[in-house]
Amino acid sequence: MHFTKKLGIGAVAAAMSLSLAGTAQAVDLQFFFPVAVGGKAADTIEALTSEYAAANPDVKIDAVYAGSYQNTVTKALTAARGGQPPQLSVILSVDMFTLIEEEAIVAFDDLIKTDEDKAWLKAFYPAFMENSQTGGKTYGIPFQRSTPVMYWNKEAFKKAGLDPNTPPATWKELVEFGKKLTVKDASGNVTQWGVRIPSSGFPYWLFQGLTTENDVILANSDGNKTNFADPKVIEALQYLVDLSAKHKVMAPGIIEWGATPKAFFEGESAIMWTSTGNLTNVRDNAPFEFGVAMLPANKRRGAPTGGGNFYIFKDSTDAQKAASLDFIKWITAPKQAAKWSIATGYVAPRADAWETAEMKAYVADFPPALVARNQLEYAVAELSTYQNQRITSIFNDGLEAAITGKSSPEEAMNDAQQKADKILKDYR
Amino acid sequence: MSAARAFRFDYDRALSTTAAWALALVWFAPLIYAVWTAFHPTEFSTRFVLTAPLTLENFAAAWNAAPFARYFLNTVLLVTSILIGQFVLCTLAAFAFARFEFRGRDTVFVLVLLQLLVMPDILIVENYRTMRFLGLVDTILAIGLPYMASGFGIFLLRQTFKTIPKELDDAARVEGAGFFTILMKVYVPLAKPTYLAYGLVSVSHHWNNFLWPLIITNSVETRPVTVGLSVFASTDQGIDWAVITAATLMTSGPLLIAFLLFQRQFVQSFMRAGIK
Repeated sequence: MHFTKKLGIGAVAAAMSLSLAGTAQAVDLQFFFPVAVGGKAADTIEALTSEYAAANPDVKIDAVYAGSYQNTVTKALTAARGGQPPQLSVILSVDMFTLIEEEAIVAFDDLIKTDEDKAWLKAFYPAFMENSQTGGKTYGIPFQRSTPVMYWNKEAFKKAGLDPNTPPATWKELVEFGKKLTVKDASGNVTQWGVRIPSSGFPYWLFQGLTTENDVILANSDGNKTNFADPKVIEALQYLVDLSAKHKVMAPGIIEWGATPKAFFEGESAIMWTSTGNLTNVRDNAPFEFGVAMLPANKRRGAPTGGGNFYIFKDSTDAQKAASLDFIKWITAPKQAAKWSIATGYVAPRADAWETAEMKAYVADFPPALVARNQLEYAVAELSTYQNQRITSIFNDGLEAAITGKSSPEEAMNDAQQKADKILKDYR
Repeated sequence: MSAARAFRFDYDRALSTTAAWALALVWFAPLIYAVWTAFHPTEFSTRFVLTAPLTLENFAAAWNAAPFARYFLNTVLLVTSILIGQFVLCTLAAFAFARFEFRGRDTVFVLVLLQLLVMPDILIVENYRTMRFLGLVDTILAIGLPYMASGFGIFLLRQTFKTIPKELDDAARVEGAGFFTILMKVYVPLAKPTYLAYGLVSVSHHWNNFLWPLIITNSVETRPVTVGLSVFASTDQGIDWAVITAATLMTSGPLLIAFLLFQRQFVQSFMRAGIK
């Protein structure tokens, strides 16, 4: 088929594909994966796939690194529209509706036959499944999933006269602690901010922590109606804006996401909110003792989930689909899930993975790894709708307008809701 | 009075020199930062201490994070094959548009110009289909093929060919030269500055292209350096500026060095070709 594959060794490739065609019933799978956590994760994925291939000689998996999450969904959809999709891919859980609308993926319910498989499907944490199911069907299998948590600098807490082992547990405490933790030099310049909630790029994600705590859901599970103008959403945004505008415990303006861990390490901020995906990074690089806690509560505790799911693509043979399912079952099995979680900091998506000896040893050595899992009890689906890219960018623009003071939280959210309605009304 | 004139002259000159320096600094600042960060340990990424220890570790880390040697080879193969394809196709097309009379010439030329208005990213799916039809998915050729019949190149060369005096053409014809000889002996040599300028634009554009190569290729054997570079853009984990700047310097290094070496020729040919 690919007669010119890899310039220069075309002949070799052709000879190989001939000999491959000779072996009976070999299944070729192409697997796209994004890497949102640097080179080490790519190595782990490749190690896992080759381990699987060694145990299953009749299946050949070609694991293809596909860039960021955005690049991966673009690549997979382009390939699908071009008539040559991968068999399976890890893509953001929030892209589920997009993939369904493009008719690119199949529901797992259509592939699953045995009771054993049904039990397997039920063993994932419900919080992760919220983003993986719609209309009563399961379209994604949680794999590299995360949730935001709060990291705090214990030394800074001590210096401010706070108990280093008690993080703020409520919105009110976050402001109170933040005021004590905000340090100014003689000329009045802030040298250490109390809190850092990054707002660049995808502010909606951390903001969804605040809305969930304020007991409001941003979008329905059919993905066709948003709730941006709800008074509780506006109240949450007002709180976020007030952190810098009124209480002066957070730097004003848009706060860079990527530079956040570094700012935390250098003591520019005593508390930061960011993904659990950063856990290993913080553990390796923080030059002081730090703690990890759930996000503070208001009306309730809460946080969104995030990260990527496995999807199986429609346009492949039945044998390929069955092999893909088998691979996904294998890689999400307790032992593999534990290995993946330990290597990256992503939250192992099943309770039984936390029962393995490796995971227990890891958690005993490093208890903060448990915080994210425990928070899952309060977690909700990440904002996800049809036309997801457009809706989230409308929402992000609204948040940015309020954060930078261009419009009031109320105006910004009403405006965002109107724009979202205009797009989503076709899907109701 | 002569003193006053001299003073005014100096004033003017000082102003343009300052402006030139200011612009150069603005342009240069990211590069200076990259050099600083790449050669110092991570702790000094945002702290400027003159005595900070120098290190090459960031480069080693970056080099080991992806198979860059192979990626460099791929990129060189890619830009060379595109450049050759563009030169051949654009020269022939431009010559036809500039010197031949045929029915529908202007219509066809307008169609070629329309290509300039279309963002290549819009065509990704169509291009993918074509490559799949040709069985070229995951090859270096597939990355380059959509760019070879460049509308910009045809336009630029046609304009250059049009400025070449018809008398030279006629003289060659009187001597008995055929079309191809005239093209190769008269037009191409006189358009050298345009080729050089266009070549530079083309090479630097395709050296830096990212999305299409990422989509159409799957394996280490075909992917260019930009795809390797993207391994470092991991916002989830916090960005390690030291390694990312080292990798950036490494991947853009060959182009920077080439530009510095051939600076004079480039600038001159840009002036002559009218690309500014």
